[in-house]
Amino acid sequence: MNYIGQSVPRVDAIAKVKGEAVFASDMVMPGQTYLKMLMAHRPHAIVRRVDTSKAEALSGVITVLTSVDVPNNEFGYYTYDQPVLCGPSSKLYADRVRFIGDRVAAVVAETEEIAAEACHLIEVDYEDLPVVCDVEEAMKPDAPRIHPDLDSNVFSHHKLYNGDIEEGFRQADVIVESVLNTPAQEHAFLQTESGLSYMDEEGRLAVVTTGQWGVKDRKQIAHALDLAEDQVRVIYPMTGGAFGGREDISVQIIVALAALKLHKMGNPRPVKVVWNREESIIGHCKRHPFRFFTRWGATKDGKIVAAEVKMLADGGAYKFTTSIVASNAVINSLGPYEIPNVKVDAYDIYTNTVPRGAFRGFGGPQAVYCAEQMVNKLAAALNMDPVELRMRNLAKEGSLQTIGAPYPPGVTIREVTEACAREAGWQTSSIGWTNDRTGNKVNPVNTNLRRGVGLACAHKNVGFSYGYPENCTIGIDLYGQTEIEKAVIHHGASEVGMGAHTVITQMAADALGIPMEKIELVSTDTARVKDSGSVSASRMTFFIGNAIKEGAEKALELWAHEERPVHLEHTYWPHQTTAPDPETGQCDPNVSYGYTAQAVEVLVDMETGQVKIEKIHCAIDVGKAINPQQVTGQIEGGLVQSVGYAVMENFVEKDGQVLTRNLSTYLVPTVLDIPDVMNIKVLEIPDPRGPWGARGLGEVMNMCLAPAVSAAVHDATGIWFDHFPLIPEEILIGINKLPKK
Amino acid sequence: MIFDLIVNEEPIHTEAPADISLLHFLRDHLKLTGTKEGCNVGECGACSVLLDGKLVNSCLILAAQANGRRVVTIEGIHAEDGGPNDLQQAFIEYGAVQCGFCIPGMVLAGEALLNSNINPTRAEIREAIAGNLCRCTGYQQIVDAIQATALKRQEKGRRD
Repeated sequence: MNYIGQSVPRVDAIAKVKGEAVFASDMVMPGQTYLKMLMAHRPHAIVRRVDTSKAEALSGVITVLTSVDVPNNEFGYYTYDQPVLCGPSSKLYADRVRFIGDRVAAVVAETEEIAAEACHLIEVDYEDLPVVCDVEEAMKPDAPRIHPDLDSNVFSHHKLYNGDIEEGFRQADVIVESVLNTPAQEHAFLQTESGLSYMDEEGRLAVVTTGQWGVKDRKQIAHALDLAEDQVRVIYPMTGGAFGGREDISVQIIVALAALKLHKMGNPRPVKVVWNREESIIGHCKRHPFRFFTRWGATKDGKIVAAEVKMLADGGAYKFTTSIVASNAVINSLGPYEIPNVKVDAYDIYTNTVPRGAFRGFGGPQAVYCAEQMVNKLAAALNMDPVELRMRNLAKEGSLQTIGAPYPPGVTIREVTEACAREAGWQTSSIGWTNDRTGNKVNPVNTNLRRGVGLACAHKNVGFSYGYPENCTIGIDLYGQTEIEKAVIHHGASEVGMGAHTVITQMAADALGIPMEKIELVSTDTARVKDSGSVSASRMTFFIGNAIKEGAEKALELWAHEERPVHLEHTYWPHQTTAPDPETGQCDPNVSYGYTAQAVEVLVDMETGQVKIEKIHCAIDVGKAINPQQVTGQIEGGLVQSVGYAVMENFVEKDGQVLTRNLSTYLVPTVLDIPDVMNIKVLEIPDPRGPWGARGLGEVMNMCLAPAVSAAVHDATGIWFDHFPLIPEEILIGINKLPKK
Repeated sequence: MIFDLIVNEEPIHTEAPADISLLHFLRDHLKLTGTKEGCNVGECGACSVLLDGKLVNSCLILAAQANGRRVVTIEGIHAEDGGPNDLQQAFIEYGAVQCGFCIPGMVLAGEALLNSNINPTRAEIREAIAGNLCRCTGYQQIVDAIQATALKRQEKGRRD
């Protein structure tokens, strides 16, 4: 049965087109109650007193939860630095709110309306504290301390030193230097955060919710509620998009806490919560804004000899995944180039803004903006074609990464760059790479319009990095007598939309040599499956594919030895990465990379400031497209998010408040905001470590559109914008048609 | 108040609060959870339904405004045998579905267009779904699915 490379229909598609697919927000249980959270709506304050008496007196209110109800009032992805409910508590410094979406109380009531009304009746005495939102302000020694138990708002410093940076700049004929800023970005997954919690038939506290890694949610719930992990059960039904924004806890702990409290009160009713859009936007993390201070040098024959980057990552009020995002940004800030002398310093900084966390690309898109903007500037400074400059510096098979270790096998950055460049009009000749489409600024018909072409390229690591003990566990059961009648795959891959369940079914059918119809999945219920790891870091196809391939081989061997039924658990352990040296950052960071290059053709309207992206050319090496149609859908969707990031999505914050609190003010691309045709070239150069040669895909296309747009706008206008999104107002300021802010 | 309306060809007679939105009336009172809430301010289109054949955001309409009228939700769109209809089948075939949260609204936007325009251009299809956000697919495969269905329905129209 050959299913690899076939565009089979998604296994969940019929239910989804009919509206029958069940999301957590659709679930109803008999006797369920409704929970509403009271968010602080102020960016920094000590909670002196919470008076719930009026709320509790309201008819229909069942209970009100505050900090004193939380057994262990802390949670967090890597560090438990956030209170579940802020307020007086046995935990030192759990008494304060650090961003507007921090939760102070929660009401459980007969209806959602009553719960909301009761929230208004809760009286909270706050003592406001000074607010710090800018990273450079927050770094100062006398800045307001956001976590008083630490001696600074800077919570980590990552380094990557290699070669001799000063000697590198001495060799350079051309040096470019810039300060660059990248914006926050809201995930805007269509389904807001939801949860339903109850005591299951075996006395476990069950939480049906939206998420990306059930085992990680379970760990944090159990910690905060002071329960053993096996007393907590996390179940994910269909999830309406994630993009990294569901990596961290949102509603899970509080809804579980409420269900546990009702149980203890002898009123064991289920509790349901659904965040509205505003709660979602102020309550969950954003893509980190980064500020880069950077300097790049090259010789006149186009050899990049030195790159220096200092980057400030705005971590927001709590750590979430910031430290790992920033370490990923460290590598990507230097791009996929061979550079002999490099120095990177990355600082992670607490501010009183909505926490920053994972978002498709995981620090990559920000850092790649730095690398690619600077390489494009170097090309301009050298008067050299930007593709030509890249070809003189890009890594190849066997190259050392700037971080020291050799690249994982299967380096294809040159192949994707060449494929993309040719699509966008570049050609090679005896004088190297050139493009007739660049440098043609003025539209002959409408002189207000300027044309431009720009290109950027990038790699994205696949899987968790830097020594994390990556692995992926699945279960395989085979039933039947003479032949396999049914195979059950137990796995923890949350279906957040990317097609994991379909691809798992395809890979399992192929590996076991049976029709897809005979595969059953038991999915994402921590009581029924083992840990397959997170659906993030472009990792699931790669890791679970290898687990399925290895596991199926073992299962078939047992089957051949007449074992009936077969029950097998298998864990895939990839190439073990290593942690960075604390002083130099040197390590073997990643298992595998995906590669992409992207070019855009833009029209800039010099009167209105509108940047219209007319064409996108994207070359991407997926190793092997397990399901080509789903691969195309992933790439197109990621590119559209990138169009939003580059020219539209303007997340506005002021003094810790969010001014864009709904989809009416935070604008994500509609179908009319994107070019009708995206020119996508899917390359399939096998990854020696990937299952059937597949590479990770989920984030790769999100890596480099913004710097390509920036280069295209420079080609059109002659101006380097060192920040984005390139909304009309910013373009008009840049071309001096509006005063600077 | 008492509501009397037709939902998916079925007469509904039930009591609900007078100020309830059509969206919450459908989801909470009729348990028709295929209609989704994405923003509650009419920006995302996940709550799209047909009201007397016209596409509306059910979050922006009071159930009272639908009284005495015909509402079609995603549960009312299907083939005669209860399976996916031709447009839904095209969504599946063209890979137009990812997380699926926007899809009920997208299908209804497609139906609303094809009900009024049997031969839409690609630009008209894009216009027709411009009020429906999708954060996963990038829209192309959705447009392809609606376009393919339009062509099939035209062929079928010519045959019949």
